[in-house]
Amino acid sequence: MVAASVTGLAARRLTSGYTAAMVLLGVGVSLLPLMVSNYILTFVLQALMACALAGSWNLISGFTGYVSFGHAAFFGLGAYAAGIAIAKAAVPAPVAIASAAIVAGCAGLCLGYPALRLRGPYFAVGMLGVAEALRVGITVAEPVTGGGRGLVMPPQDVLLPAYFSMLALVVLIVAITRAVATRPVGLRLLAIREDEVAAEVTGIQTTRLKLVAFATSATLAGVAGGIYAWHMSYIDPTTVFAGSLTVRAIAMTMLGGQGTVFGPVIGSVVLSVIGEVTWARFPFLHNAVSGALIVVIVLFIPRGVTGVLQDRGVLPRSRTL
Amino acid sequence: MIGALPVAIGVAAVACGGEAATPAAPASGGAAAPKGAPIKVGASVSTTGSNGKTGLYQVEAYKLWIDQVNARGGLLGRPVEMIILDDESDPTIGTKLYEKLINEDKVDLVMGPYSSSVTQAVSTVTEKYKFPMLAAGASASDIWKRNYKYIFGVYSVAESYFYSVIDIAKAAGMQTVAIVNEDTVFPKATAAGTAEYVRKQGLRIVFQEQYPAKATDLSSLITKVKAAKPDVLVGGSYQPDSILLTRQAKELDLNVKLLAFSVGAAIPEFGTGLGKDADFVMGPSMWEPVLKTKGNVEFVETYTKKWNREPDYHSATGFAGGQILEAAVAKAKSLDREKIREALSSLDIETVLPGRYKVDDTGTQTAHIAVVIQWQGKEKPVIAPDSMANGKPKLPTPEWKARP
Amino acid sequence: MGTDLATAAQVVVSGLLLGGLYALLAGGLTLVFGVMRVINLAHGELLMLGAYVACLLFAATGLNPIVALLVSIPVLFVVGAVTQRFVVNRVVNAPLLTSLLLTYGLSLVVTGTAQAVWTNDYRSVPFITGGFALGEVSISRPRLLAFAVSLVLTGAAHVFLTRTRWGKAMRATAQNADVALACGIDIDRARMLAFGIASALAGAAGTLVSFLYSVYPEMGRAFMLKAFAVIVLGGLGSFPGALIGAMILGVVEAGAAYLSTTQIAEAVIYIMLLAMLLVRPHGLLGTAER
Repeated sequence: MVAASVTGLAARRLTSGYTAAMVLLGVGVSLLPLMVSNYILTFVLQALMACALAGSWNLISGFTGYVSFGHAAFFGLGAYAAGIAIAKAAVPAPVAIASAAIVAGCAGLCLGYPALRLRGPYFAVGMLGVAEALRVGITVAEPVTGGGRGLVMPPQDVLLPAYFSMLALVVLIVAITRAVATRPVGLRLLAIREDEVAAEVTGIQTTRLKLVAFATSATLAGVAGGIYAWHMSYIDPTTVFAGSLTVRAIAMTMLGGQGTVFGPVIGSVVLSVIGEVTWARFPFLHNAVSGALIVVIVLFIPRGVTGVLQDRGVLPRSRTL
Repeated sequence: MIGALPVAIGVAAVACGGEAATPAAPASGGAAAPKGAPIKVGASVSTTGSNGKTGLYQVEAYKLWIDQVNARGGLLGRPVEMIILDDESDPTIGTKLYEKLINEDKVDLVMGPYSSSVTQAVSTVTEKYKFPMLAAGASASDIWKRNYKYIFGVYSVAESYFYSVIDIAKAAGMQTVAIVNEDTVFPKATAAGTAEYVRKQGLRIVFQEQYPAKATDLSSLITKVKAAKPDVLVGGSYQPDSILLTRQAKELDLNVKLLAFSVGAAIPEFGTGLGKDADFVMGPSMWEPVLKTKGNVEFVETYTKKWNREPDYHSATGFAGGQILEAAVAKAKSLDREKIREALSSLDIETVLPGRYKVDDTGTQTAHIAVVIQWQGKEKPVIAPDSMANGKPKLPTPEWKARP
Repeated sequence: MGTDLATAAQVVVSGLLLGGLYALLAGGLTLVFGVMRVINLAHGELLMLGAYVACLLFAATGLNPIVALLVSIPVLFVVGAVTQRFVVNRVVNAPLLTSLLLTYGLSLVVTGTAQAVWTNDYRSVPFITGGFALGEVSISRPRLLAFAVSLVLTGAAHVFLTRTRWGKAMRATAQNADVALACGIDIDRARMLAFGIASALAGAAGTLVSFLYSVYPEMGRAFMLKAFAVIVLGGLGSFPGALIGAMILGVVEAGAAYLSTTQIAEAVIYIMLLAMLLVRPHGLLGTAER
C-alpha cells in the first residue's frame, strides 16, 4: 500500500485503527438485536439495505465511473424473483434469495453486454430506461407478478433472520470491495474510470472487466431485493423499482467517498441517521431538507468523507479504506 | 426522478399530544373531564408523496375525532392522545413506522394508514403484534383475502364501487360498457369488481384497458374507446386522470351516455377544474356532506370550523374509523386488544358513513352503503340509492357538440 | 372513426401534438447539456414552477395562460440564471455524477418547498377546452394551441442560438470553453444565459401544460423521463435533434399506445431508446465526444 502523506508506520496504524473501527461497527450491529426494540431493528435493517445498494452500486460506478441510474432495476428483479419463488412455489428463504441472485446476475450480464458500450450520460440515461422498461414489464406480466396490485406472500415474522441476512450481505459486499481494491483488478477498474482508451492501450481487457463488475454489482443488488421481499412479504412494482432507491444509493456513496471500501458504509450510516433524526423537526419540509443536504454534500465535500479525511492527513491514502 | 421517496428516510411527526392532553370544556352532555394517564393511539398516514393530498383529509379527521373524544370524557374515562406520522406514500416506510408506534412509542391502539398498498404492507406488522386495526383509508379486497384476524374494513371494498352506477345504466337500457383504469392497487380492484358485476348484470364489456400512473396523455386510449362505441365509460381513476380523461374525451369528441369515475369525480376540485364539462359525470362516494346520517351535520360543521375547509369523503372514513374504535373500546370495557378485536368483529353500529359498520368473518366491511353522485350545474347531488338521494339522475349525457 | 386511415391519422396527429410540448421541454435540457455538460435533473421542477405561475395568476385574476407566458418566461429566466450563477456554475467542470446529484438535490428542495407552500392539492386551469373535426380526425384545441406556441418558442430559441452574437457565444462555449475564453468570450455569462433560456423554455412548457394537465408539486417528474429519452434520442446537446427526437417520441408513444396499450407504450419508448443507442451510441444528431 502506498501511504503518501504520513509515514509508513503511522499510516499503517491509522489504517488498522480505521479498519478496526469498521469491524467494531459490524460487531455492534450484529449484537444489536439483543439490546433494542424491533423498531430500531427495522430501521437498521432498512439502513443496511440502503448500504447494500450503495455498496453494490459503488462496485460498478464508483470504480469504473460508469454512472448507472438504473441500479434499482436489479433490486426490483431480485425482489420479484424471490417474491414469486416464495408466493408461488413456497420455497424456503435461502432458495428464494439464491434465485434472486441468479435472476439479477443473469440480467446484469445480458443487459450489461450491450449497455456498457454506451458512455457517460448515454449510459446513465440508458440504464434509467432499462429500469423503467423492466418496471413496466413486471407490471404487465400480471398473471405471474400480480401486476400493479402487488405480490402478496404468506406473511411470516422474519425480522431477525432478514436482519442477519442483510448484515451478512453488507459484510460480503465490503469484503468483495476490499478484495477488489487491494488487488491489481481494482487499479484496472480505476484506470477505466480515469481514461478508458488509455486503459485499453495498456492491455487491460476493459470490456470483460466492466461486464464482470457490472454483473457482480447486479447480483448483489438482487440479493438485497430478495431479502427485502422476504422481509416485507408484500411488494409492488413502484416501490421496488423506484428511481429514488438508486439516487439514495448514489448520494450515500458520494458522501462516504466513491471508489473506496468503506465509503458507502459511512455514507449510508450518516444519511440514514440524519434522516431519522431530522424528520421530527421539519415535518412538512423534510423533502426540501434532504435535498438541501445533498446540495451541501456535492458543493462542499465532493470527494466524500473519506476523501476529506485523506486530504486533511487524518487518514492515509490507502486503498484498503 | 421517479417515485416520491426523498433521499433521507424521513417521517413527519404531527405533534398533537399537547393539544389532546388538555381537552376542551366538556360538551353539552356534561361528561366529566378525562383523568389518568393518556391512552395513546398511533397511526401513520401519507401526508406527502403521491397520496399526500387525500391522506391529509384523513389526518385532519383523526385529530378532530381526538378532540371530540376528549370533550366527551375520553376513552374509559382516560384522555386520549394520538401520534400521527407520515409514511410519504411508501409502504416500506409505513411498516417501519408501525414498528415504531408499537415498540417505541408503546401505543395502546392503532388506526389505519391511507391507501390500499400501504395498508396491505403495514397490516403484516399489526397482525404480527396482534394489534386490531381499522382500515380507515383502504378498500382493496385483497387486504382481507389473507386470513388476517386483526384488520377490519370501514367502508365498501373497491370492487363494489360501481355496482350502483351499473344498476343505473342497466335501468336506463344501456348495454355496452368500457372500463379503463390506472394500473395500481386500488383502481385495479375497482375495475376487476366492476367487470365482474357488468357481466353478471348481463351487460357487455366492449373495451377494457389499463394505463400507467401519472399518464399525461390518454389520447390513444380515448381513440380506442371511441372506436368501441360503448354506452357507458367507467374509469378506475384518481383526480388528475379523471380530469384528463374528461378533457380528452371532449377534445376527441368521444360521446358516451354515461361517464363515471371512481375517486376523482366525487372530489369538489373535479367540478372546479372542469367547470361545465363536469356536468353529467357520475361517481361513487363513500360519504357526502348532505347525507342525513347520524351526527353528520355536526361532523361537517365542526370539521369545517377546525380546518377551514369542507371535509372530503376520506375525512369521513377517517372519522368513522375513530367512531368505530371508540365504540369497540366501550364495548370491550378495557384496552385488552383481544377483547377489542372481538368487539370489532361483532359490532353493528351507525357512524357518519351511510349504512352501518359490520364486518364478516374475514374482516371485510359488509354493511356500508356507497352512494352515487352526479355533477349537475355546480352541485353534486346524491342520486342513488333512492333512500338517500336528494336528486335525480340526468341521463343520457348529451353529445359534447350539443352542450354549451 | 370511419377508416383505418383516419384512425392512423388521428394517432399521428395526437402524437405530433404531444411531441411539440416535449420539444419545448427537452430543448432547454439539451441546451444546458450542450453548453456546460450538465444534465439538469431539476428541469422538471422548472416546468412545475412555470405551471404554478399560470395557475396562481389564473386563480387570482383569471389571467389567460397564454398571456401568463409574459410573466412565467422572464420569472423563470431569472430563476434559472440565478441558480446557474450561484450553484450550478460551481460544478460545471466536475464529473458528470457531481452535477447529476447536485441538480437532483435542487429538485428535491424545489419540490419540497412547493409542497410546503402550495400543498399537494391538484389544481387545474379551466381555460380552453374541446376540439374540432378536420375530416374524420378530431383535433384538440388546447393541445393545438400549446403545440403552436411550443413551435414558435423553440424556433425563436433556435434563431437566437444560430443568428445572434450571444447565441454564437453560447455555441462557442459549448464546443470548447477554453478556446472560447481565449477568444474573449465571457463564458460564465454565456453559461448563465444558456441556463436562463433553458429555464425560461421549461417555464413556458409548464405554463402550457397548466391547461392540459393537473398542476401539483411533483408534476415535473411525470414529464422528465420523457424529456431525457427525447434528448438522448436526438443526441445530447443538439437543439434540432431534440425537436426531431420529441416528434418521433410523441408519435411512437401514441402509436404504441394505440396498437398495444398505454401501459406497454411506456416500455416501448425506452426499448426503442436503448435499441437506437446501440445502433447510434450518440443519438440521431449528437456528435461523439471524448
